[in-house]
Amino acid sequence: MKDIFQDLFNKVFGFFRQAEKEENAKDTAVNRLRVVLMQDRTNLTPELLEKMRGELIELLSKYVEMDKDALELNFEQEGNQMALMLSIPVLRAKDEDEIEDQDDEKTSSENPEEEEQNDNSEDAQDQEPEKENSDETSEEEEQKIEESNTNQKEQKSK
Amino acid sequence: MSGRVIVITSGKGGVGKTTTNANIGTALARAGKKVVMIDTDLGLRNLDLLLGLENRIVYTIVDVVEERCKLKQALVKDKKNPNLCLLAAAQTRDKTAVTEEQLKNICEELQKDFDFILVDCPAGIEQGFQNAVAGASEAIVVTTPEMSAVRDADRIIGLLEAKEEIKSYKLLLNRVRPNLIKSNDMMSVEDVVEILSADLIGIIPEDTGIITSTNKGDPIVNDETSLAGKAYNNVARRIIGEDVPFLNLEEDRGVIAKVKKFFSGLIGKEK
Ligand SMILES: Nc1ncnc2c1ncn2[C@@H]1O[C@H](COP(=O)(O)OP(=O)(O)O)[C@@H](O)[C@H]1O
Ligand SMILES: [Mg+2]
Repeated sequence: MKDIFQDLFNKVFGFFRQAEKEENAKDTAVNRLRVVLMQDRTNLTPELLEKMRGELIELLSKYVEMDKDALELNFEQEGNQMALMLSIPVLRAKDEDEIEDQDDEKTSSENPEEEEQNDNSEDAQDQEPEKENSDETSEEEEQKIEESNTNQKEQKSK
Repeated sequence: MSGRVIVITSGKGGVGKTTTNANIGTALARAGKKVVMIDTDLGLRNLDLLLGLENRIVYTIVDVVEERCKLKQALVKDKKNPNLCLLAAAQTRDKTAVTEEQLKNICEELQKDFDFILVDCPAGIEQGFQNAVAGASEAIVVTTPEMSAVRDADRIIGLLEAKEEIKSYKLLLNRVRPNLIKSNDMMSVEDVVEILSADLIGIIPEDTGIITSTNKGDPIVNDETSLAGKAYNNVARRIIGEDVPFLNLEEDRGVIAKVKKFFSGLIGKEK
């Protein structure tokens, strides 16, 4: 009698478990292996991949406003060929003036003052002179702060 | 006569290289081929045990290269099959006792008298591997459907591809457990073949009979009723060039159909 209930329980539980989980042990193994083999085959370490991701974000942020956390950089296998897939969730493309302004900003921000700017995001917002379209402010703000953060890091490592 | 030199390798230890060597060697000999097996796992010799020949070894490969005996003197004949010989590894020496050049020379000399020279490779990708591969022109890469074994097999395949002397390599998938594959807890044959994108030469099921046959010193291919033995026999036949379909390791009907479909696709691809 106990066995019947046990069996029934396992079946029901198993059903729900299956429904919940999209990925089984085998799929996990296959997916993890794919990634690790790509890295083995190219000698690209996770650190290097992360660095590449960071630099790509920095470069691309100049031209598009994107969801940085959702940016994906992965190896994918297509038959015998492997591809480096970059998926960029674009929120908005920047216009020419904006891009030029950023260029100017970048050159001017390469001074110690910038540290202050990063310590306090409110200040950073105040110091932004060309901020006109207010509905996009917060997102763009974050982006710029992060950008200058990377600048700062770079300066440190120099 | 110029025999084929096949190295059996894996990267990872314990995946079944030596078991594969003993069984394919025995199966080829049973099929009437003259076979010699070389154990290059210096310091960790095992092939003699799997064949039940441990008490017959007088000279080893190190005695040959250090010229304490002639090559022919060091070859130990199998108990059951006069077509089968073993050149044992030295148990007391390390991997540096034999060089690539020396192994190459030994293989060349044996090619004159044997149809097949099977080289049992130590684990790893260092000098022991380089030595074992030195005289070979074909390779069998043994792996299991486990992540670490597949990863190491990928490394080995990369190294084999870089070697000009290796003209072809095939994949042998060992310790396959159909029940685990069915419940999606283990990578399937299909998964491993796709990940490594290599030609398959055999699928060997997990089989407790392999443990008992090792204990007896009698390779499982000698047991006609064993599924693993049958699978190994089929590998030997494929090596000879026969077109042998892959065994169904699976009992479930629905899955059989799928497995069959997949296997027939694979065979179609085989040259
Ligand atoms: N198909 C199999 N089923 C069950 N046990 C196996 C199988 N293949 C190998 N083994 C066991 O795995 C262990 C390692 O095998 P071995 O051939 O010595 O590996 P390697 O030479 O690659 O180190 C041995 O104990 C052997 O009996
Ligand atoms: Mg071994």
